Amino acid sequence: MKLHTSPNLDEIRQLLDRQHPRQVGIVGQPPRIVIAELNQRNIEILDLDAMLVHADMESTVTILPRVYCAILRTVVINALHLDLEAIFIDIGPGKCDSALYVATILQEKLTIPVLTTVNLDDQPCGHPQCLAELDLTEKFLAITEGVKSAQPAPNPPPPCRPSAGFWGVPPRDFSILANFPATTHVYGWSRCLENKTPANLALEMQINLEIPTVFFAQSFCAKTALARHLAARHPKALYLDIDVHTTNSARAKVQAFLELSGATL
Amino acid sequence: MILADFGTSYSKFLDLSAADPQPRILPTKDLDRSLHVALATGHNGKRFSGEYVNELIALARGAEALIPESSYLVLDCGSRDIKYIRYQDGQLLDMGWNAECGASMGFTIELLERYYNLDFSQLPVPKKTFSVTCGVLGISDIFDAITSGDGESEAVARFVKGIAINAYRFAGSPAKLYLSGGLCDNPLFVKSLPCQVESLGRFVLLNGLRRIQLSKS
Repeated sequence: MKLHTSPNLDEIRQLLDRQHPRQVGIVGQPPRIVIAELNQRNIEILDLDAMLVHADMESTVTILPRVYCAILRTVVINALHLDLEAIFIDIGPGKCDSALYVATILQEKLTIPVLTTVNLDDQPCGHPQCLAELDLTEKFLAITEGVKSAQPAPNPPPPCRPSAGFWGVPPRDFSILANFPATTHVYGWSRCLENKTPANLALEMQINLEIPTVFFAQSFCAKTALARHLAARHPKALYLDIDVHTTNSARAKVQAFLELSGATL
Repeated sequence: MILADFGTSYSKFLDLSAADPQPRILPTKDLDRSLHVALATGHNGKRFSGEYVNELIALARGAEALIPESSYLVLDCGSRDIKYIRYQDGQLLDMGWNAECGASMGFTIELLERYYNLDFSQLPVPKKTFSVTCGVLGISDIFDAITSGDGESEAVARFVKGIAINAYRFAGSPAKLYLSGGLCDNPLFVKSLPCQVESLGRFVLLNGLRRIQLSKS
């Protein structure tokens, strides 16, 4: 089966004209031109990286190894359980190699079209949510909701003075975000996501050495290397590796780190 | 006012309203389920208290009260997990809590002590060790060694040394560490740590709670 290695818009339009889908899934952040096409046709977009289905992770073991990125295992769960008519998976430098393999597997396992894209968008859309004073969970919900739209969110909130930082991808389990102050700035790939430039490594590597920062890594994600590297360069850093669920000790580490490093709660 | 560190195997109490508050220890399995204290830490702390302090914070505050230097590493080795805090010039530098992988080491050591009727104060540090990352899985090494002809005490001593080295590495292989927790009372474990060790005893977290409580009043 042929893998689509770029946002071949003609091909995508032909598919959409032929099938008239009402609901599609996306993995990672496909190019804005693809999202714009879906938005224009009022097609509902589901972000398959998010926990949309409460099914047992064990249901993925016939498709993926148990020891694998929990976000991509979640993608598979969503793809298996949701009523989707097509899936768009970004496999470019703004996502990961594993997404390519998951796309290849899903193309074989599913009967719906699974199209791959390579997002090299470099037009910055800004990242006001990352800098806003807002509950961190709400902030991440806003950032991840933003991937469904080709346009930046209207009415950007004003920036706040940060008291803590969170670097990394949107975690699979948002409960780790609960203990952070509202004045937490978001860094890493999450910032790239809001900026709609997921392959912007320079932006992904931006950190603030002045504020205590949690460097979050989703276990088995290639970005764990960058998380640890940046944490080692930061004077007030906590490197945190979390798999499927946030453990009590991970939660306690964040709480202790923020309190003992003087982050204003 | 009673403060408590509700550990997995043992719970430690301090009654601040006593004339001369002294810590006391009870096996956690013997606790009255209706027990309720004012301020607590430990794995079972939330069950028995009105206010809970997480263990890393209690450890840090306890270490601040007991250690005179501004740069140090304190490693807490309890029944179920190991955790450490490292300060440099009074600033938090690093921390870790190994609760899931590598767990139950202290508990396993106590089980082995009772099962084989050993006295850890009499056992020398063995030359060889096991590569132990988990208390439960490490037991297989003991059985294998005994099957291969090693004495039971020698095999368990190698296991204890393996646990000590694992804890030391987890803490970043420091030149010196302050040791907290129940394994302070195990001479073989303390001597097996390949660095300078100062034992603070098993009431460091309780001291942390006391410091936190006093800072409120």
